[in-house]
Amino acid sequence: MLSPERLALPDYEYLAQRHVLTYMEDAVCQLLENREDISQYGIARFFTEYFNSVCQGTHILFREFSFVQATPHNRVSFLRAFWRCFRTVGKNGDLLTMKEYHCLLQLLCPDFPLELTQKAARIVLMDDAMDCLMSFSDFLFAFQIQFYYSEFLDSVAAIYEDLLSGKNPNTVIVPTSSSGQHRQRPALGEAGMLEGVEASLFYQCLENLCDRHKYSCPPPALVKEALSNVQRLTFYGFLMALSKHHGINQALGALPDKGDLMHDPAMDEELERLVVRSKLHRTSRQHRAKEPGAFGFQRREKQEALERVSSASVPTPYHYRWEPRV
Amino acid sequence: MIPGKYRSVSGRAANNVNCGLHLVIQTSSLPEKNKVRFKKVEFKLNKDTSSFPGRLLQHDLERNYSSRQGDHINLVSSSLSSFPILQRSSEEKILYSDRLSLERQKLTVCPIINGEDHLRLLNFQHNFITRIQNISNLQKLISLDLYDNQIEEISGLSTLRCLRVLLLGKNRIKKISNLENLKSLDVLDLHGNQITKIENINHLCELRVLNLARNFLSHVDNLNGLDSLTELNLRHNQITFVRDVDNLPCLQHLFLSFNNISSFDSVSCLADSSSLSDITFDGNPIAQESWYKHTVLQNMMQLRQLDMKRITEEERRMASVLAKKEEEKKRESHKQSLLKEKKRLTINNVARQWDLQQQRVANIATNEDRKDSDSPQDPCQIDGSTLSAFPEETGPLDSGLNNALQGLSVIDTYLVEVDGDTLSLYGSGALESLDRNWSVQTAGMITTVSFTFIEFDEIVQVLPKLKIKFPNSLHLKFKETNLVMLQQFNALAQLRRIDQLTIDPQGNPVVNFTLWKYYVLFRLSHFSMQKINGTEVTQNDMIMAERLFGILAHVASSELPQYRLISILGDARKKQFRYLLESKGKKPGIINEENNDSKRLVGENTNRATLNYTTRDFYNEKLEEIKEKKKFCKTYIEDLVKEATEINMKNEALQKLWPQMFIELVRDAVIEIRNKNSYMKLCLQQITDQK
Repeated sequence: MLSPERLALPDYEYLAQRHVLTYMEDAVCQLLENREDISQYGIARFFTEYFNSVCQGTHILFREFSFVQATPHNRVSFLRAFWRCFRTVGKNGDLLTMKEYHCLLQLLCPDFPLELTQKAARIVLMDDAMDCLMSFSDFLFAFQIQFYYSEFLDSVAAIYEDLLSGKNPNTVIVPTSSSGQHRQRPALGEAGMLEGVEASLFYQCLENLCDRHKYSCPPPALVKEALSNVQRLTFYGFLMALSKHHGINQALGALPDKGDLMHDPAMDEELERLVVRSKLHRTSRQHRAKEPGAFGFQRREKQEALERVSSASVPTPYHYRWEPRV
Repeated sequence: MIPGKYRSVSGRAANNVNCGLHLVIQTSSLPEKNKVRFKKVEFKLNKDTSSFPGRLLQHDLERNYSSRQGDHINLVSSSLSSFPILQRSSEEKILYSDRLSLERQKLTVCPIINGEDHLRLLNFQHNFITRIQNISNLQKLISLDLYDNQIEEISGLSTLRCLRVLLLGKNRIKKISNLENLKSLDVLDLHGNQITKIENINHLCELRVLNLARNFLSHVDNLNGLDSLTELNLRHNQITFVRDVDNLPCLQHLFLSFNNISSFDSVSCLADSSSLSDITFDGNPIAQESWYKHTVLQNMMQLRQLDMKRITEEERRMASVLAKKEEEKKRESHKQSLLKEKKRLTINNVARQWDLQQQRVANIATNEDRKDSDSPQDPCQIDGSTLSAFPEETGPLDSGLNNALQGLSVIDTYLVEVDGDTLSLYGSGALESLDRNWSVQTAGMITTVSFTFIEFDEIVQVLPKLKIKFPNSLHLKFKETNLVMLQQFNALAQLRRIDQLTIDPQGNPVVNFTLWKYYVLFRLSHFSMQKINGTEVTQNDMIMAERLFGILAHVASSELPQYRLISILGDARKKQFRYLLESKGKKPGIINEENNDSKRLVGENTNRATLNYTTRDFYNEKLEEIKEKKKFCKTYIEDLVKEATEINMKNEALQKLWPQMFIELVRDAVIEIRNKNSYMKLCLQQITDQK
């Protein structure tokens, strides 16, 4: 806890890095919002629950987008929640359109912007035919990259554009006799149009970006790995490579590996229980539906509902207990 | 010998349909080569001809003639002309001075008849005569019978000014003409010809019987001038309409059987004819209609016989009752069609408005995207200012309406329609109609509610009202309501019960999603819906829905902290209260129901209850409200942080300085105590100073 690195940081910086203030502010705001309800069971308990939920990653459920986006931890939690909730959709094998994925996102975050989903879809579809169907895993990994590193990616896009048009942000512009358009591109002896930019040059720029950037960015070593076996790449090619890279995924820590994407034994157990219960409900309700009066069939569910509500205070044990990023 | 029954009196045509009227003329046979033998010649009138009530003839016909052989007619061909010349023995001439029969004589032309200028009856039946000739000298002729010949044109009659009976049935006459001088004509028989048009008879003011049966007439008119006509036979033609009959002041019998009359309008002039008492329509299309009898009876009160059957009082009464009912029905259907037209126009209007509104929204969206500061180019507000041909009108609603009557309230920009068990709302203005006082009976009958051209977000706001006012609504239909997100279905959870849901693909993009049905089944599982978009919901569907989204529900309920659960559920309840408080006609009884409702809200699958839908506007509103609080929180926390960091700084500074300070303290103390004596003195000094 009291590691020397932590104490070495000046206080404001420390707070900023951990986004402590964000959570504090949000906690107090929530307190004000729900004053009447919370005052019934005590402020201390409220703060306990709040920070517990922050630790568990459930604090972002059904919150507004500005909050979900606010900290890296929030983003990771959101990705994880999305994965957990809709893994079954992926498991079922359905291919969905971008709009439908956006709908699913909106179920968890009502004002999630469409642009982010669109950008994520572009990565999967390589900027082509935006109405195509996408698989759950493809979309999820691309979305992870796009959402978590969105500011970083914006800068990368700018760099890419620059490189494409021939301006290297690293080099000093020296006036020459001929136009500088094609000078930066090494002549590779291949005829005709060359797609994308040269990988190593691109990487250099990225490295500089990572150094300068205050936003989170993928670990440069992993990025280098991703770029290692290509000569040239396009912007979306690069992003696609990032999204498929296992190392980056693990570094983020939000989602399991691609192979394990559909696995979640604890949840599956829970799901089975739910399905069985719903089967019973349906058959018994079908009997009850014959009863006269609209009120008849609902009273009996109150019992179950109450017992459900009380279970919310006990956090569900996580099998995939993961540590927040340090 | 004329049997009595064939002596007809005007007005009783019943027996005369099949009768023949026999004029028997005895002629003697002539024992010569070229002579023709006659035994008994029958001057027969075809059955299609009506009776012959002419008084003139009757007295002739009643004369008995005994059949006698021996009368001769001599036809001698003359060398002078191609016509044969007729001669009769003087005996015959004296006996039958006024009548001559040349029936079945195989005549191809009319023979010249000399010396018989006082002839009154002439019979040429059953011959092959093609032209009427050589009779101009018979200027006293009263009856001329050319039945069953091959005459193609009426001619050669201009001198027969006394002619009363002209029988030209079963010939090949194509046109009625050359009857100008026959002003005394009493009976004109032209049945079985090829006449297409009634003409050139308007001068026959003494004509009583006109037979035009079995011709090619397609319509009847041009009958003026026939001031004595009592019987008009038009059977077996192709008549489609009848006119001018009201110009016949004496017409009593009109036979129109076997024609092509299909509506009473085409014979409407008959209603104006006060003399008509006997009419036949059998064999016409009109006679097959269900309304035939009573329509005819109702329109022709003067009628005594229809289709050869007497009309009874009972029939008349029935007829008038039925006719009144017809009238009612017609008026009703006219009203209905008018209403339908209004409805159609209104719906078109609403559709147009909806389209413009959608375009406007799209324009605004694209403008925002482009960050355009120009004003949007879409048209200006059209609500309420649209002109329509129909002025504002409120139709009858509720009380008194029973099964399957349309209650209609038509206003320019929206439409509310109640049709038996379906309530249809078109246009957003229609939502206000839910506030009206619906009668319990009507509202109780409504099982289907259909929304068209209304934004779903607006519908969400009135769902509580719907729940209360129409408790039996089980089937909801949405068309052109801008359903775009799965979330929006969450809003339907607040209703009491839904058995069927129909989301029309038109105007509802959500239907294009693969998973929408499963999401609906999942979120609204407590309703146990039977059908979605017409297809039955199977157990497998429900299980699939649960499988797909069950975890979402689990996460939404069990992983949310308690305070969030309560706040979300509380929000929903608060919203419902708010809607109801704003509605009109709130009675204290409703408040209790509200409490029950909110308790029942807990009763649904609470693990889904947190999945709510807030319309975009409300959501933004809420976010706006929170902004203030957020600002305050920020400053508050900042203050706290400042305090904390200050304290922290001081703490750290203390930490740094403390060792030094401690050493100094110790050193100072040690230096002080070094010299015991001087220290004691110092202390005592200090104590005395203090006092």
